[in-house]
Amino acid sequence: MSEAYAHPNYVKIWIWLLVLLALSVAGPMLEIPTLTIITAFGIAIVKAFLVAANFMHLKFEKKIIWFLLLMSICMLGVFFFGVAPDIMMTEGDQWIDCIADKSCVEQRL
Amino acid sequence: MSQAATAVQTDTNAEHHEELSFLYKYILPTDHKIIAMQYIFTGMIMAVIGGYFAYAFRMQLAFPGELVPLYGLVGPGEYNMLVTNHGTIMIFWVAMPVLIAGFGNYIIPLMIGCDDMVFPRLNRLSYQIFLASTLVLILSFFVKGGGFGGAWTAYPPLSSVAEYSLTDWGASLWVLAVALEFVSFLLGGINFVTTTMNARAPGMKMMDIPIAVWFIVLAVILFMASVGPLIAGAVMLFMDQRIGTSFFLPSGGGDPLLWQHLFWFFGHPEVYVVLLPTLGIVADIITVFSRKKLFGYKTVLYTAFATGGLSFVVWAHHQFIAGIDPRMANVFVVTTVLISIPLAEMMFSYIATLYGGSIELKTPMLWALSFIAAFLIGGVTGIYLGASALDVYFHDSYFVLAHFHYTFFPITIIGMFAAITFWFPKMFGRMMNDTLGKIHFWGTFIPFNCIFLPLFFLGLAGQHRRIYNYNHFPDLATQELQNIRIFATVSLIVMLCFQLVFIYNFFVSMFKGKKAPDNPWNANTLEWSTPSPPPHGNFKTLPTVYRGAYEYSVPGREMDYWPQNEPPEES
Ligand code: HEM
Ligand SMILES: [Cu+2]
Repeated sequence: MSEAYAHPNYVKIWIWLLVLLALSVAGPMLEIPTLTIITAFGIAIVKAFLVAANFMHLKFEKKIIWFLLLMSICMLGVFFFGVAPDIMMTEGDQWIDCIADKSCVEQRL
Repeated sequence: MSQAATAVQTDTNAEHHEELSFLYKYILPTDHKIIAMQYIFTGMIMAVIGGYFAYAFRMQLAFPGELVPLYGLVGPGEYNMLVTNHGTIMIFWVAMPVLIAGFGNYIIPLMIGCDDMVFPRLNRLSYQIFLASTLVLILSFFVKGGGFGGAWTAYPPLSSVAEYSLTDWGASLWVLAVALEFVSFLLGGINFVTTTMNARAPGMKMMDIPIAVWFIVLAVILFMASVGPLIAGAVMLFMDQRIGTSFFLPSGGGDPLLWQHLFWFFGHPEVYVVLLPTLGIVADIITVFSRKKLFGYKTVLYTAFATGGLSFVVWAHHQFIAGIDPRMANVFVVTTVLISIPLAEMMFSYIATLYGGSIELKTPMLWALSFIAAFLIGGVTGIYLGASALDVYFHDSYFVLAHFHYTFFPITIIGMFAAITFWFPKMFGRMMNDTLGKIHFWGTFIPFNCIFLPLFFLGLAGQHRRIYNYNHFPDLATQELQNIRIFATVSLIVMLCFQLVFIYNFFVSMFKGKKAPDNPWNANTLEWSTPSPPPHGNFKTLPTVYRGAYEYSVPGREMDYWPQNEPPEES
């Protein structure tokens, strides 16, 4: 256990993260839609990767750990794909209206 | 014990293990065989409770409103509690502990040829957490308001609001018990996978592993990959119940459908989690008793991979009419129909294994064959249900109920009896009585069909599940339908009575049965090369494996079996 990992330079990574944060705050200010998407999501992905690789030490793990991570992300994708249409695309305020407006509750009973 | 570490690699001598006190041998064991027995016995006791519940509510359905002998009056709330906990117990406290944790623990180290699980103390901890979860569940029957009555699927808002379910603490303890149980099986699962991947006897390649072990490992991998969302869901449900959040409550902006997704994302893989161990056990039994090589070992294995993968993308077939997006329903119809292909292929492989074999109808073989027959009915009716148009009519009817009992009963009960009758000689060093075994078999299998076949017709007649007294529904209160209900209930009572034969056979054989030889069935796998019962540490000398697990009736050999650890003849 004692043969220590080669340490990444945590401070350097942290500074990179800060720079990216600044970029992702600045990007949307230009108000170009495509650029906003790239800065918001693109940078988020890069940042997540940096954190996972360095702070979570995935950089030094065996391939199988990456494989497991990828599988989990796939599962998350599958789950999201199945659930999103129900949870996000219902005109869901119907329910709340229902509570406020007693008549439709009665009608359903 | 300083050589203990090297002993693992060279020879696991039984002598290296000193005699343990009663406390450490039976109450706090680290020996996988004793832990397995703990799981199996706990599971069997829970099966008795689950069976008792079924008896009580079936009596209410057949003779509504009358006093049930040995139980009392079944009121509506109590009916809900009985059905809910019957389902919960049979799936989570019988199928999982007996087949996966129990037999998994027993056979994995023996079949892959090592002295114990790689993490014996973790193994013990996993049983202890399981025991705690069992106690919490039993406690929940006795709190104010009684046990939880919101069905084993626990759909909110019914399950999350005490005013609806009328079981304030019963519901919360139920969630807690289930969550604890999952923690226990996660720990157990880690152990199973690590042991199988790392501790196999020298010479045992991946493709030499017996199917029973493969399938248990696949099952726990499926379990580990699917249980996360449900544990998250359980925490959210618990918070909805106890601290007033509203993850699943429309009144607070939550979404009850989200729970259904979280539940079934776990729930459907879960049915394959319990299915796979039984399929594996059956594969091993039919090869032994038809003296033939398993037809298409790799095919069987790959179909299991395919089933496992697909099982993650079919969950919404339980929600076709729950208000999900209809476009999604189409996707899930396709995946549901797809999943029957690998399963059917596997069944054909099993049948092809039997073809031309010299079949010996011993009790374990009868159980294995009846599994295939009964499970086919269950699987085929699943395809009907998977067509969303048909499911509009079938959903939540007795057709669904009959479908899943034709899958779960073979898996849990038939699978359990198959495994027990097959490995009993190894576990207790004595043979079970074959005649009593056959009486018990027919006394279980015939009534089983009498209970559940009629329920398909009740479902087609429009009988909805979860109704405690059909007299309140004129369409369903006709005498013909009532007669079918009475027939099913009487069959259930007959079946329960025949279990006494098993209990008698089990305990008498355990102490008085004929002494079992090491390899009573002339089987190939490694567990049969140990003494019956195997000592602490299992093997005198660590076996070396020379071939696959299914070399039966090999041409040119005198004996019709060829144990995995028998060195090839010099030539
Ligand atoms: C592995 C063996 C199987 C088991 C243990 C099993 C178990 C279950 C259970 C427990 C339910 C009902 C859940 C509830 O509402 O309480 C169910 C429903 C269903 N099963 Fe199966 N099943 C199995 C195989 C299959 C197969 C092979 C298919 C299709 C190809 C299938 C399709 C369905 C469908 C579509 C439903 C939903 C019906 C409805 O609620 O309307 N099942 N099954
Ligand atoms: Cu399903």
